[in-house]
Amino acid sequence: MHLFTRFGVSAMLAVSFMISGCTPRNKGDTGNTFQTYQPSKVKGLDPIYADDLYSGTEVGRVYEGLLQYHYLKRPFVLVPNLAEAMPELSADGRSYTFKLKKGVLFQDDASFKETQGKGREMTAEDVVYSFKRLADPKLVSTGWWIFEGKIEGLDEWRDSAKAGAPDYSKPVSGLQAVDRYTIKITLKTRSAQFLYALAMPFTSVVAREAVEHYGKEFLNHPVGTGPFRIAEYDRNSRLVWVRNPTYRTELYPSDGEAGDKEAGLLEDAGKPLPLVDRVVVQIFEESQPQWLSFLSGRLDATGIPKDNYGEAIGGNKDLTPDLVKKGIRLYKNPGIDVAHTTFNMKDPLLGKNKLLRQALSIAYDVKPYIELFFNGRAIPAEGPIPPGVSGYDPDFKNPYREHNLAKAKELLAKAGYPDGKGLPPLEYVTTSNSTSRQATEFLQKTFAAVGVQLKVTTYSWPEFQAAVKSARGQLWSFAWNADYPDAENFLQLFYSKNASPGPNDSNYSNPEFDKLYEKSLTLLDGPERTELYRQMARMVAEDCPWIFELHRSIFSLVQPWLKNYKRHAFEHNTAKYLRVDPALKK
Amino acid sequence: MNAAIQGRSLWSDALRRLMKDRLALVCFGIIVVYALAALLAQFGLIAASWNAQVGAAYQPPSFDRLDTIMGTDIFGRSVFYKVIHGTRIAMSVGLVSSLISVPIGLALGALAGYFGRWVDDLIVWFYTTISSIPGIMLLIAITLVLGKGMTAMYFALGATSWVHLARVMRGEFIKHKSRDYVVAAESLGATHASRIFRHIFPNVSHFVIINLSIQFMGAIKAEVILSFLGLGVQGQPSWGVMIDDAKLELARGVWWQLAGATSAMFFVVLAFNILGDALRDALDPKIK
Repeated sequence: MHLFTRFGVSAMLAVSFMISGCTPRNKGDTGNTFQTYQPSKVKGLDPIYADDLYSGTEVGRVYEGLLQYHYLKRPFVLVPNLAEAMPELSADGRSYTFKLKKGVLFQDDASFKETQGKGREMTAEDVVYSFKRLADPKLVSTGWWIFEGKIEGLDEWRDSAKAGAPDYSKPVSGLQAVDRYTIKITLKTRSAQFLYALAMPFTSVVAREAVEHYGKEFLNHPVGTGPFRIAEYDRNSRLVWVRNPTYRTELYPSDGEAGDKEAGLLEDAGKPLPLVDRVVVQIFEESQPQWLSFLSGRLDATGIPKDNYGEAIGGNKDLTPDLVKKGIRLYKNPGIDVAHTTFNMKDPLLGKNKLLRQALSIAYDVKPYIELFFNGRAIPAEGPIPPGVSGYDPDFKNPYREHNLAKAKELLAKAGYPDGKGLPPLEYVTTSNSTSRQATEFLQKTFAAVGVQLKVTTYSWPEFQAAVKSARGQLWSFAWNADYPDAENFLQLFYSKNASPGPNDSNYSNPEFDKLYEKSLTLLDGPERTELYRQMARMVAEDCPWIFELHRSIFSLVQPWLKNYKRHAFEHNTAKYLRVDPALKK
Repeated sequence: MNAAIQGRSLWSDALRRLMKDRLALVCFGIIVVYALAALLAQFGLIAASWNAQVGAAYQPPSFDRLDTIMGTDIFGRSVFYKVIHGTRIAMSVGLVSSLISVPIGLALGALAGYFGRWVDDLIVWFYTTISSIPGIMLLIAITLVLGKGMTAMYFALGATSWVHLARVMRGEFIKHKSRDYVVAAESLGATHASRIFRHIFPNVSHFVIINLSIQFMGAIKAEVILSFLGLGVQGQPSWGVMIDDAKLELARGVWWQLAGATSAMFFVVLAFNILGDALRDALDPKIK
């Protein structure tokens, strides 16, 4: 007994030494380091699988695409990245011609054998290769949907590759490397959204040598053209990025929206990027260590975990005096997203029974959920389209989203399960952290009120995504964050051809919806398209493939020494604009 | 020959000794209270409404009503009821896993000790292998195979916690099998089975009782750890799950869920420990 007690005490001492030992060491080498975090394990660093925000952000540090968003301007606008200028559009509106920047080098890497490890110049052929890779059926990219049915000849190339080994040398009529620095992309029909795709992590340019050299391990060996290169990579705990010494000259923007100058966002105008030497990404699956790291200065910016809300924000939705004293700044931005619970439409029980889905949707009470889990920092969702993108209809009230238990029970009875009798427990899959577990309990309680039981299975984030992609389980909860500022990005989540492993995770399939969706793709922004968007939103509201829950508003806290911070809803590659003022760091 | 002297059996002797130990009696009383609470909760007689909302979210403890005596959780549910429901989970895991592990440990230990030679080698090799795998890893592996939940936990804890008893039993059987009374039984023609069960077992059975109380406590602790890690009970309160909740809630000053779960666990584990010690003192005459 005594032995154990003493051992227990000394073990605790050792732990506290380790913690206090960490602080000075960490502070010592953070001179010009941006310290950030991810709330989940990073799946990998291959652009064609970067379909979640977390891996997308990490991919964005090392890889670049043809276009990017302007860091400061709002509404969001595209500007060239690897391209020299915005593309020329042909007279029929179907072909884009891009001129590439000259002298853009891939990062030095052992896979460039011909040049003894020196990174070679990125060319138009690399762009074609990278786009074909996204289409390669053998690789099962999670981003193929952004090109599917859009680029002339690419679908045919994909189909021919399905039969045998994919032949990258076989030309695709819509993807032409005209010369070393020119690429011509031809679409099947004109599309208002296509250019946005070229600013997403999926379409980042990769080097063929690296892909072939590392094979499956390419997922963990990023070789891009971007501002940072990987120095340390542990997908479960920590990523360290360092400045890429061969990065081309790219300058901090010298114009922004009104008010940016006053906010000090233009102080670094014209300076070469990146402004920090290192980016350290800590993975915090639990929110408590994340919050404590921020308070102790080991994180430069953070969101506010629900249980620390009271500590951070006072009654008037402003910072508490404690944090103001520390010089911490608060930013509030509407999130362009929708959180939802998905019904698996492939499931014979839920997929075939619209009344059952409607009953569950109407039984779900989002208001206490917003209070308990978001501290009121969200608005109830009526449909798939969030405010801030065209197609959002402020007057639309979803008839199945008003919380009404009596009506829910009535619908449940009509669906064939009066008071839930005869309905087997529904299989709910979720992630395994404490907050998800609480949210799951909330859902269980909610459904229990109408007599519906849930059987819960928990996974880690990557496992959870895999489960959803293969449609294991009957329900799960997700949030969709917009990839680009167009409602089409939300509506494509219901297009039948985007079914799993594509982004249509409910596997919703409705020919009428598909017809409207395909029609809307050919239209440019305008009242006709907005009307189509609204029609589609009403259609999915009626069919209830999802329970539409909420649109978040995003509160972020920023340390006094972090400069040039401006939240961007779409651009992943923003670390290069940030600056750290070591003098302000104690 | 028919004894005029009324001898006392080991058991009645032990009982007398145990009755003199006040502290052990108190601990036994505590365990009875826990067992009773678990039993009543099992049949839905108390705390059946743990899932009902009894107040606002995170209401601090107040003594005017029974259900808010330990405050409320994030959904306004009674922490007190959740503690009782957690007692049910903990006690049932302790009981069922002991019921699984004790027969395994007993049988394997007895066989190894009694038969010796290759049987002994085989069984010793087997339990050495089992015990060389870190317990928590084995538990995680088993819950992953069987799926998370109560059944997996019963089985996982039962299947991993018999090694200690098997070791003790083996040692005792080695000691006893060459004692005079066993040799006498053998020369009277007693079979192996009869020697094991009728002759030796009654003389070593008190080890099972001692071991049971220790094992019960170990299983309760393991249940809390597994549930804390999210591998234990799913969708119902357990002390481990409550402590996991508290991890987040402490930041906002909500301490009552942690206090409720840890104190419930503290008392039952302490009681089992003290009772285990007292049982050993009472039943093992050698260390008197």
